[in-house]
Amino acid sequence: MANIPGLIVVEPSPEQSKHRAAGIFVRKEKRIEGESVKEHLRKIREDARSNNASLIEQLQKTLGKYDGVKITSAKDAKEAVSYIKQIADNTTLASINKSNIVVNELRPGLQAAGFKTYLRYYGEFNNFEEGKFQKKVEDYWSLPGMHGRNLVESFDKRHSITRLSSSGIKDYVAIMGVNAISAEDGTVYFLQHMSNITKDLQQAKKIILVVGIEKILKNKEDALFHTKSMGIYGLESILLDLIPHDIEKYDFESLPELSGENGQELHVIFYDNGRSELLKNGYSDLFLCIDCRACARQCPVGQHIFLDKGMVYSPKNYLLGSLQGWLPPVEVCLHCGRCQVECPVDIDIPTLIWKAQFEHYAEDGRSLKKKMLDDPELLAKLGGMTAPLSNWMVKLWIVKMMTQFFTGVHKDSTLPEFHRQTFRDWFKGGSHE
Amino acid sequence: MSNKVVYYHGCFANYYNPDSGKALVSILKRNDIEIIVPEQKCCGMPMMANGNPAGAKKNFDFNARMLAEAAAPGYDIITSCPSCNMMLKREGLPFFDSKDARFISERIYDASEYIYKLYLEGKLNTNFGEIPLKVFYHNPCHLRVQNITDVPVALLRLIPGLEVVKVNTNCCGMGGSYGMKKINHERSVEIAQKLWNEIKAANVDAAVTECGGCGLQMAAGTGIRVIHPLVLLNDAYVKGDARKAA
Repeated sequence: MANIPGLIVVEPSPEQSKHRAAGIFVRKEKRIEGESVKEHLRKIREDARSNNASLIEQLQKTLGKYDGVKITSAKDAKEAVSYIKQIADNTTLASINKSNIVVNELRPGLQAAGFKTYLRYYGEFNNFEEGKFQKKVEDYWSLPGMHGRNLVESFDKRHSITRLSSSGIKDYVAIMGVNAISAEDGTVYFLQHMSNITKDLQQAKKIILVVGIEKILKNKEDALFHTKSMGIYGLESILLDLIPHDIEKYDFESLPELSGENGQELHVIFYDNGRSELLKNGYSDLFLCIDCRACARQCPVGQHIFLDKGMVYSPKNYLLGSLQGWLPPVEVCLHCGRCQVECPVDIDIPTLIWKAQFEHYAEDGRSLKKKMLDDPELLAKLGGMTAPLSNWMVKLWIVKMMTQFFTGVHKDSTLPEFHRQTFRDWFKGGSHE
Repeated sequence: MSNKVVYYHGCFANYYNPDSGKALVSILKRNDIEIIVPEQKCCGMPMMANGNPAGAKKNFDFNARMLAEAAAPGYDIITSCPSCNMMLKREGLPFFDSKDARFISERIYDASEYIYKLYLEGKLNTNFGEIPLKVFYHNPCHLRVQNITDVPVALLRLIPGLEVVKVNTNCCGMGGSYGMKKINHERSVEIAQKLWNEIKAANVDAAVTECGGCGLQMAAGTGIRVIHPLVLLNDAYVKGDARKAA
């Protein structure tokens, strides 16, 4: 019998045991301080960042001791997909979890390589009615009021798998981004949306764990804390993101069970895809991210961009995707700064986005339209000097069309009104005295 | 608290809404605080947003130098535009750090924040007359992310007769000139829709916000009159004078 490290699935506890679970987590029956969770989390993440190289090395050694695990490294998505293709033999059905690594970075390549990728938990919604979806998810998770204001931990270890199955397995591969892994003993942690992860770990013929190198933590305690924090801070965003798409539904239950003695296989891919670069090029704070997507809930543009890509969206993923080259350079951010407000590890995403933009324009140059809008003060001076004529002119159709053509300002935009006398003129004139 | 402050008016109060700047001068005067208005340029955030960090640096360094010089005797610096405030307080620092920049970052206040601080210290002249208005308050993102959300509302609530019916903290989708651009216009309108619906449903006399861009967006979608809170506050003083005189 092959030996494997533990596979732990963390899920919200049901409503009735919420407070008991809270007690288990904090070891006493009281609410925990959001700030102390953040502080501890930040420390754990900073340790993972500073010791990444040695943690990778340690984890490789640790996993090497388990004869039931095959490990490999992939420097990018292409290498990971090619490895998966090779071990999948003729199986082309892939169950994936909604991890940003798998959905954003691997899914397009997997599909190009002939895999049909499905998000397994959509099967949970066989009876779901259009429009009532949100309520159903909330029921399922029995939404605890945890976020920030009222932090009560209710995430618990729900399933623990310590040996692979030899019966009840089905002919598909499960490709899963892990939420955290302990370098010390190889224990793997998942935050579960529905029962999807547990089922895949029990039923997939081949289990392929994709370990983003930033997900390697020192020990079990750190990895569990990281995973629970992901649930605490990201719960609302994750719930909002669970909208079913028919194209990703598949009835895994209808697959016949396989006969034979081979049982399941467990593969672990150490996945980089630009992550080690982040540590060198000024974006190392992205390495602190726990992928909770709390920032996504605040982002005004998030619900309106890249819908065609079906990506797991968050401002951080948007920036990461741009840096990795599978998204266009960061241009649709409106610089509201809201993403930083929610981040449990205080990543200054707004500043990193500015930086990425500056680097992009320095390399690729700026459009004439951008240059035209460069100096609003100059425009205001010109408009002010010629007011009220300028205010009349900007409302003319022909002027609007010309403005749109030369500056990219939409013809239907309402522009602010110019004033002949500026505040400074008034102030200098001494009429306030 | 000193009897002088340095005012950074930025482009909005200088060119587009001089009334907000004038209101601030008048408000502070009623509290025996003199305003110093040093030479200044656009804060540079629009340049950053249009990919011109070199231009932004030039303006930012100029402003930092002028403001630091004016505030050197120990004066506070105030702004009346949320984005200018954010730019001078923290947005520019990671890229255009300097001794002056750090100095101004530490002593800059949004005008509402500053005036409410006076109130909390018992130093604010509260001789406000009645303004019988029902208003919708929109908290601009650039105040929200500086944790200035409750203060502007608390300040408005000092005005007798003024009723803040609804407070909104969602983004309006304008983002300076972002929403004006053809490539973003549609997205900007999609984002604004929620706010527009809220304003219409609130059935108020006017909307109040500090941000010029937010104001344009709110007016464009609903036709509502948008007022800077400083203008309202000054109106309340004027009404107070009239009451006293009567």
